[in-house]
Amino acid sequence: MDCLEFRRRLGAEPQSRDPELLAHRDGCAACRAAWERAQAFERELLEALDVPVPAGLAERVLLAQATGERQHAVRRRRVAFALAASLLVAIGGGGLAWHQLDARSLPALAVAHMPGEIRSLDLVRPIGAPAIAAGFADRGVRLRGPAPADVTYVHDCPVGPYKTVHLVSRVDGTPVAVLYLPHKQVARTRDFHRDGWHGRIVPLAHGTLVMLTDRGGARPFDTVARDWRVAIDGEGDARVAGSDGVDAEPGRLAP
Amino acid sequence: MKRLAPVFSHVNPRQRQFEALTRAHAGDLYRYAYWLCGQDALAQDLVQETLLRAWKSLDALREAESAKPWLLTILRREHARLHERKPLDTVELDDNLAEDAAWASPERHGDAAELREAMSRLPHKYREPLLLQVLGGMSCDEIAVELGQQPGAVMTQLFRARQKLKSILQGGRAEVQHGLP
Repeated sequence: MDCLEFRRRLGAEPQSRDPELLAHRDGCAACRAAWERAQAFERELLEALDVPVPAGLAERVLLAQATGERQHAVRRRRVAFALAASLLVAIGGGGLAWHQLDARSLPALAVAHMPGEIRSLDLVRPIGAPAIAAGFADRGVRLRGPAPADVTYVHDCPVGPYKTVHLVSRVDGTPVAVLYLPHKQVARTRDFHRDGWHGRIVPLAHGTLVMLTDRGGARPFDTVARDWRVAIDGEGDARVAGSDGVDAEPGRLAP
Repeated sequence: MKRLAPVFSHVNPRQRQFEALTRAHAGDLYRYAYWLCGQDALAQDLVQETLLRAWKSLDALREAESAKPWLLTILRREHARLHERKPLDTVELDDNLAEDAAWASPERHGDAAELREAMSRLPHKYREPLLLQVLGGMSCDEIAVELGQQPGAVMTQLFRARQKLKSILQGGRAEVQHGLP
């Protein structure tokens, strides 16, 4: 390293401890003097740059940071609260909508219809095929097969928005309320249990059959559904009602 | 009598790290910011913005030794943003100072006040690498990385920065202003 290079390095990096630089310094009196002047200048430069730091600067920064964090925390809590409230409203709204939807469901409407017709389940005398056919005719429905035996009640009843034929079939002494909804179509058979009533919804060719009983469970539903499928759709075999022995006063209550 | 637990036991490690960072470097950051912008209030704002930004990305700081250059980098960017928003009224010194000044003796340099005055007149492009070296403790290579320049160019700027300071102290081009107080 020559003097020129030494001076350039010294001018750019006076604090350098590069051995080559220090070696030249130690071997050249003029450069050593320049090095000492440079060190003195650096000390004064550092002293000049060392302006006083405003009192409390770090504390003010920490205060700003802590305040900002608290505001963020409050905002986060508010957002979380708003989300929770929205969720509750959504759940409440959903529950209400579900409740209203459920109240208009076929099982709910059928069960709600029964208290006004509860005494029909106590009728025991068959009403006969002509009365049954007449009951369906009132709803514009013509039976395609023989009417079932042991039908003790028939009436045209409104159930919610549906115009139904309300019947009572008895199977081994157990009364089953039957609601036939012409033109109402459901996708599949399904059982339900609601407010103490066992029920089954059965799709037929041109309508829907709803069976209900509050006595002994769903056991008679297969027989009743088969009988009414034969009568309404004209399919299969069933217990058939005769025109003989027809109650002259259909719908009379059992003693 | 019920004993109170130390307050810091409830402070999470990230918060403690930030407090330590702030207390350790706020002074250096302020000095750097002051000489970068030349205004006390602005320098304090820069320090606060720098540290608040550091808080947000504190997880990026892996080693304590990297803290100071990391903070200086953030501060430089904050200062650059400030310039983008509101360009400061600066005028560069003439680059063509006599090369003879490079060999001028510093015996005539004045006291700290004169040196500060000279520093405030130093053009930004010389002042910045000089501050990174003297206040930031960075090497030429580190400054080159920080400024996105070649190490040789940084060496030249550092050399010229000192010579211009000495030249100003000797009364050369004292009429030139660059907008610092």
